[in-house]
Amino acid sequence: MIVRNRVRVSGTPSGRPIVFAHGFGCDQTMWRHVAPEFEADHRVVLFDHVGSGGSDLSAYDPDRYGSLRAYADDVVALCRELELTDVVLVGHSVSAMIGALAVARAPELFGALVMIGPNPRYVDDGDYAGGFSRADIVGLLDSLDANHLGWSASIAPVIMGNPDHPELAEELTNSFCRTDPDIARQFARVTFLSDNRADLPAVCVPTLVLQCSEDAIAPEVVGRYVHAHVPGSTFTQLAATGHCPHLSAPEETVAAIRAWLPVPAGRP
Amino acid sequence: MTAPTGGGASPGDRAELARLLDEDPADLYENAPCGYLSTLPGGRIVKVNRTFAQWSGRPAGELLDASFPDLLTVGGRVFYETHIAPLLRMQGAVREVALDLALPDGSVLPCLVNAVELRDDAGAPVLVRATLFEATSRRRYERALLAAQRTAAESEARSRTLHQVVSDLAAAVSVHDVAEVLVARGRAATHATGGAVWLLAGEPPVGRPTGAPPLELVAESGIGPRLRVALEEAGGWGARLLRPGGVRVVPLGPDMEQAEPLLAAAMAEEGADSLVLVPVTADGRRRGALVLVQGTPGDDELISLHEPGTPSDLTPADADLLSTVGRQAGQALERVWLYEETARQAARSAFLLDAARLMSAATGVGETVQRLAELAVPRLAELCVIDLVGEHGFLRPAARHADPTRQHLADRLRELHLPMSGAAHPTVQAAERMRTVWIREPTDEWLQAIARDERHLAVVRELDLTGLVAVPLVAAGRLLGVLTLGSGRRRGSFTAADVEVAEQLALQVSQVVDKAQRLEQETRTSHTLQANLLPPAPPPVPGLEVAVRYVAATRGADVGGDFYDVVPLPVDGTVALAVGDVVGHDITAAAVMGQLRSVHRVLLADRPSPSAIIDRFQAGWALLGLQRMATALFGSLDPATGQLRLASAGHLSPLLVDGSTAEFLDVRPSRMLGAPASPAPAVEWAGVLPVGATLVLFTDGLVESRTADIDEGLAQLLDAARSATGAGPDELCDRLLAELTGDHRADDVALLAIARV
Repeated sequence: MIVRNRVRVSGTPSGRPIVFAHGFGCDQTMWRHVAPEFEADHRVVLFDHVGSGGSDLSAYDPDRYGSLRAYADDVVALCRELELTDVVLVGHSVSAMIGALAVARAPELFGALVMIGPNPRYVDDGDYAGGFSRADIVGLLDSLDANHLGWSASIAPVIMGNPDHPELAEELTNSFCRTDPDIARQFARVTFLSDNRADLPAVCVPTLVLQCSEDAIAPEVVGRYVHAHVPGSTFTQLAATGHCPHLSAPEETVAAIRAWLPVPAGRP
Repeated sequence: MTAPTGGGASPGDRAELARLLDEDPADLYENAPCGYLSTLPGGRIVKVNRTFAQWSGRPAGELLDASFPDLLTVGGRVFYETHIAPLLRMQGAVREVALDLALPDGSVLPCLVNAVELRDDAGAPVLVRATLFEATSRRRYERALLAAQRTAAESEARSRTLHQVVSDLAAAVSVHDVAEVLVARGRAATHATGGAVWLLAGEPPVGRPTGAPPLELVAESGIGPRLRVALEEAGGWGARLLRPGGVRVVPLGPDMEQAEPLLAAAMAEEGADSLVLVPVTADGRRRGALVLVQGTPGDDELISLHEPGTPSDLTPADADLLSTVGRQAGQALERVWLYEETARQAARSAFLLDAARLMSAATGVGETVQRLAELAVPRLAELCVIDLVGEHGFLRPAARHADPTRQHLADRLRELHLPMSGAAHPTVQAAERMRTVWIREPTDEWLQAIARDERHLAVVRELDLTGLVAVPLVAAGRLLGVLTLGSGRRRGSFTAADVEVAEQLALQVSQVVDKAQRLEQETRTSHTLQANLLPPAPPPVPGLEVAVRYVAATRGADVGGDFYDVVPLPVDGTVALAVGDVVGHDITAAAVMGQLRSVHRVLLADRPSPSAIIDRFQAGWALLGLQRMATALFGSLDPATGQLRLASAGHLSPLLVDGSTAEFLDVRPSRMLGAPASPAPAVEWAGVLPVGATLVLFTDGLVESRTADIDEGLAQLLDAARSATGAGPDELCDRLLAELTGDHRADDVALLAIARV
């Protein structure tokens, strides 16, 4: 599991565990400006979902990962393996929903959930506006195809096999977001074609919904929908624009999470 | 900027080139052969060149302050947010990213984008510079390449499917197997949410009108119960499945909503938007169809990309594949049918052979029909009832159910007495019409129509039959009865082949029953006759104790020609004795025996000696006109003195039992009565029967059996007699019969024991 998901643990071993789950597109590098800010008082855990970044691609079984539940199971297994409890789970984008599923699956492991840019259903459905039509999703899959033409299996080992030699990976263009095109396509399908609205009420830990401004992927109305359906959740609107505040506005993101999390014992 | 100095160019040319290359940087930017674009880190455009403005179809002024992602297609926008923006932040640059500009006229301009992020001294992003290259041709080429790759992959998947179908079908040994393969592979190949196979059932039933050809649902998966029922009940469903032509797509749409509202509603409810009908053809004939349901299943994890309510298209390649799969399945069906037919023939032959064997071993009508009923369930049916024509309507000698826990229902049916005509009951109908009646699916209304009363209705309802076949039992044009069979849920419906077996069985049974009935009739007559020909029990004679036994053979209608007689003569008290055996085992033998006994009594009026009786019989034989010869032993016994005279006409010697000794008396036999004349007259034996001794006269049935020869029988008789010390005549007769004849007697036995007291 540690190797399969390229798990990285840092920070304060005795601190409250905080696990960061990256969204669709890239990998744990996305947390580079946020995660270090928690190391002083938290045990910080980063990982790549199977099929993304530096994970073991051979562990990717298209049948198993045909649903977000498999990803949620992985998160639960990871927390169990590291023997974490009272975990603060921070999920971005699709991982916000993966986090919701993980919390519902094993509530005893988690103490808080932070959902950054959540969207429980991207495809519009009657009165529900997820932001996308089916044709939009077809177009997205098309864009993925267009950008993966240069990918070939022969360079995968270079990307995946040398996490300790970043200079090698740096040579490859767009490396943090590269993966096998078939996996990327399947992950995109699972991300954009899931409907997890019914799972929201089962989230039974304190939850923070972080909503960006002008987010084309997770519009504000969707964030408010999530807030309305996760019992007792807190909704925080960020000034940051786009879909990745942890990269575009890490300070604001860290501050928002810290402001919501209780101050750890032993700190003023 | 330094102009290169080309070798060979004139100084004037060089000056011109230098002038050309001394470009205005602004012009170079604005009219560069690629689009230039600068945005703030959040994507807001702050500068564009003219080339980009032209490509984007918008004036430069309108582009300023616009959001770059907003100029992209939705897919491009998502890709920008999830890939490009993070990469710019993480590695400062992206190269050769494919993005599509969404143009105001609705068209799309494929581009390749390179971008760099400019950062301030603290590393914070301040600006993004991007160059865009039009990539229409390149992307078209790449798309074609990708499409070709996917087509090749799909084509490979199709040939893999076909290969799997062929290998799966090769392993199929039943119609059900073939249908299962068809459903599973058809569904997988077309990503259908459900599939089912309907095949033509056997021939149409006799006695009930039928509309559409009977189709049977042989295999099904992934179809909800409501849709399945709606499919089966759709008007002309069978006809549609059997309509000639290739693979067809029937979409859920206004046409279907109007023609088949229930089917349309069921499809909508189960998220189906079209049905694909794939013909299954065998031997050049349509044998059924595979029906695939396409659409979104309600319980799928992922939302279908397919727009609900729009029928999915079937690619020509998929249609070809399905058509081939249907043909392959048809061929497999042919093979399986042939195999099943052969197996059925073998089973049928074995069954009929068993039936013949069983019935040949049965004696009498009652046993025959019992055995038939035992054989018929469960091999041919779950319920078997046999009615035979009696004097007052039908009799029910047998009714059996395959399930012992439901035999009580069959027992109740046995109590039913049906009329010979004028009733709707299938048994009566079969009798009336003298032909097979086959009811495929008895409905409750039908049960109500045929039931004789409430009690009967309750029983037939509880039997829960799925089919009924009534076959008349007919021999030489005469109705003997009806064989009625019922199929239940456990065994499944009758097939045409089952009905054929039932008819062949009925034919066999008819012949056996007919023969048995005739034989029983004859036996009854013979036994009545014989009973009247035999003498009454002998009167008590002072000084003697007499016991007589007459035991008929156990097999069928055989009537023996054995006889005995004990006649006390008037005046001197002598007792005349006789025992005899007419050749043959039939009514003629019995008649001859009767005549011999009568003549014997007449002869006794002259009180002739035993040998004289034989002589007179021989002399008068021709005059009597008797067709059969006979053996006989005649004697006279004086009870007072024990004086005993005996004479034999080819008959076995009698036995003398005295205490623990027993011996055959040496009565020399003369020729049989009615045998060709010989010069030797009958020889008489004379002696004394001591007081306490017993004389035993018997016919050969006592000592002859099919398994042992007569000498063994005689030796056994001696042993048995010797061990019966002290027994009176009655007891002696019983013991001899018990020890010498078993339960099965091949011949009649006449036994006469006389003791002096």
